[in-house]
Amino acid sequence: MRSGRDGAGGGELGLTRSRGWKSRPWAIAGSAGPGVPVLAVAGAVFGAVVLVLSDSGRDPNTTTALFSGLVGGLYLVTGLVTHLRRPGRLGLRMVTVGIAWFAEDLQISSDPGPHTAGMFLRSAASGCLVHLLLAFPDGRLRTRVERILTGVVYVIVGVLVPLGVPFYRSVTPNLLFVADLSRPQNTLFDGAQVVVAVAVVALLVRRWIVATPPARRVLAPVYGVGLVGSIAAILDSALAESGASSLNAVAHLATLGLPVAFLAGALRVRLGRTAVADLLLDLPRTPHADLRDLLARALGDPTLRIAYHHPDETGSPDSYVDGAGQPVTPGPYDAITPVRRDERVVAVFLHDPALRADRHVLHAVSAAAALELDNQRLAATVRAQLAEVRASRVRIVAAADEQRRRIERDLHDGAQQQLVTTALVLRLARDRLDPEGTDRELDALLRRAADGLEAGLTELRELARGIHPAVLTEAGLLPALRALAARSASPVRVVDGPALPPLAARVAATVYFVAAEAVTNAAKHARASAVHVHVRASGNRLLVTVADDGVGGADLSAGTGLLGLRDRVAALDGTLVVRSFPGAGTSVHADLPLEGP
Amino acid sequence: MTIAATPATPATTTATTATTTTASTTGVTRVVLADDSALFRVALVELLEGNGCRVVAQAGDAERLLDAVERERPDLAVVDIRMPPTQHLEGLRAAVLLRRRHPVTGTLLLSQHLEVAHLDELVGRTARGVGYLLKDRVTGPDFLDAVRRVAAGGCAFDPEVVPLLAGGRGRRDELAELSPRERQVLGLMAQGRSNAAIADELHLTTRTVETHVRNIFVRLALPDETEHNRRVLAVLTYLRSA
Repeated sequence: MRSGRDGAGGGELGLTRSRGWKSRPWAIAGSAGPGVPVLAVAGAVFGAVVLVLSDSGRDPNTTTALFSGLVGGLYLVTGLVTHLRRPGRLGLRMVTVGIAWFAEDLQISSDPGPHTAGMFLRSAASGCLVHLLLAFPDGRLRTRVERILTGVVYVIVGVLVPLGVPFYRSVTPNLLFVADLSRPQNTLFDGAQVVVAVAVVALLVRRWIVATPPARRVLAPVYGVGLVGSIAAILDSALAESGASSLNAVAHLATLGLPVAFLAGALRVRLGRTAVADLLLDLPRTPHADLRDLLARALGDPTLRIAYHHPDETGSPDSYVDGAGQPVTPGPYDAITPVRRDERVVAVFLHDPALRADRHVLHAVSAAAALELDNQRLAATVRAQLAEVRASRVRIVAAADEQRRRIERDLHDGAQQQLVTTALVLRLARDRLDPEGTDRELDALLRRAADGLEAGLTELRELARGIHPAVLTEAGLLPALRALAARSASPVRVVDGPALPPLAARVAATVYFVAAEAVTNAAKHARASAVHVHVRASGNRLLVTVADDGVGGADLSAGTGLLGLRDRVAALDGTLVVRSFPGAGTSVHADLPLEGP
Repeated sequence: MTIAATPATPATTTATTATTTTASTTGVTRVVLADDSALFRVALVELLEGNGCRVVAQAGDAERLLDAVERERPDLAVVDIRMPPTQHLEGLRAAVLLRRRHPVTGTLLLSQHLEVAHLDELVGRTARGVGYLLKDRVTGPDFLDAVRRVAAGGCAFDPEVVPLLAGGRGRRDELAELSPRERQVLGLMAQGRSNAAIADELHLTTRTVETHVRNIFVRLALPDETEHNRRVLAVLTYLRSA
């Protein structure tokens, strides 16, 4: 048994795993100690002795030595198997029940010595069984209520019952008999038994109600056998007069079956480990998108989620994102298990707390998936950062547009308005000059000032138009493109298509600036005799083409403004392509979403 | 004569005859002025009042402009295209409204930059009593002439309008077939000048100008229009269409 487990761990898992985790299951098993097998053997010897000692006092109508030996022996054997197959204290609890079971039988002996000793231990198995039930399946008590109840039971069977021994009269002589208080004791302990039974059943029912499917799978054998046994025993005592011996047999069988059910439940947890082996085989063949499903299958938890620490909020440990960079919020009942790679947490599993019943499986699955999850974490990080960069690029474009618009308006409403007013005042001044006057030099000076102002106004107007054409916001893209064509030095024709749908301001501005740059390049470098600007909407895309019949040979990377515009188009999820061959003209194509990102 | 007694000046009554250059000589042109800059208004008022006009009301925004025109029924409204509250196209919208509500009042729109789209919206289907000029033109020699023409029911378009209309519409090639003199005449025609004014400007005889105009109409296959405003509109429509 033991070598078998060692082989499984060191063989299949050892091939792909570092050694670090392997010590952990061993450490847990070691805490229960190698004493459990020794204890089981000692318990078996003790049981044999008890059976021999008690044989004389057995009532043939109730429990035979064979049945008693079978039940106690089964607890010892199944406890030992559980201990060897699963780390933790569950095996120890089961072996303890087996020993206590034999100890209870000691009082059956008709020999006063063993009988009196057995009187002290006559409820030991009940106490150990309550502990086992409440600690199932991981061998540990989890809640305060469970610990208190177990403690109370141990006080009753380990302190109160022994204290009552001198005051209990039994058929076989009680060597320590002082006075007869049997009846109050019976009343007291029967009452305590009912209260404890109700409390235990209530806790078990509650646990079943809150349990998730994987947890119920583990609980089912014990609950099933326990339920059948309890019902049979209750009916049996209720129908005692009619002598329904078959019910009694069912109750006995259930008692025999309970240790087997504990083992079965424990092994159901254990079954998950074969899934780890399957996982290792499937992992390299699984597409990234199916990784979660694969891991969920291996862990037997359909609610499993995989999350990553938020790349930008390493300071807050509870901030997670999924593979797409979207935030993930752990549910109130989610258990969180970190997946480590070289001591670094690469991801976390958000899973059913019941999976903690076998940490070995959880560790093995997370270890097997760590490399793949680390890759996905890096991919998620990159995607999250990319999304942020794209959003910020769009914001930069929008901010630049807004700034250009504001500058253009400030020029028109501020500087230009002032200059026009000044030029007008200058005209009024010139009008006052006596046309027949002799001060021709003053008139010439004023005229030079007026000419300078006029030239300045023209320049300012062109500057404002270049920064951001007002017509783009006032009348839309097509009128702006026509104005661009009309003012171009070379002949530019805007080809009318079907009416464009309403455009986002940044989309219209981007297309305008692309066309303006291409038209300028055609006039400056291409020596084109004709330039065509064609804008049309197709589906949810806006397509713009600026084609000339010039010398060609333009290069996007050769320092033209188009390079910056390609970034601008890309910021809006679009593409900009330049096709230019010597002698075959140049065409610039931009293709971007109508809505913008 | 008193202004109150003659709300319609001789200038407007003779508008249909399109003898625009003489309109202001027969009376005072009553003007409403709309611009959000008080300094500019003061200077423009001085210019206008020193040249045969009387500014009967001033407005800093479109709403007051409409009220003032409703109240004063002037010969002319001079309107800046950008006005509060948005500093956008309030002036244009108001000018379009004025032209519909008060066809007798001429509307002269001033702007820091010229756009064909705005011209189309302003002019609509009749070029009567309408003008569209760069704001800078107020300092030039032709501004007062444009004021008189529009007040008298004629039209006045900025010299930049012709290349703007023709550019980007594929009309460049056809215009290139005209002689330089014919292109000059076409440009002045598109600005709304009468044959006499064109002759004056180019130092030609009226008869020569008429010959040029006939040739232009034949070469560009324009409908033969004798009435002045319709002739201007035909030219604008030709330039605008592709």
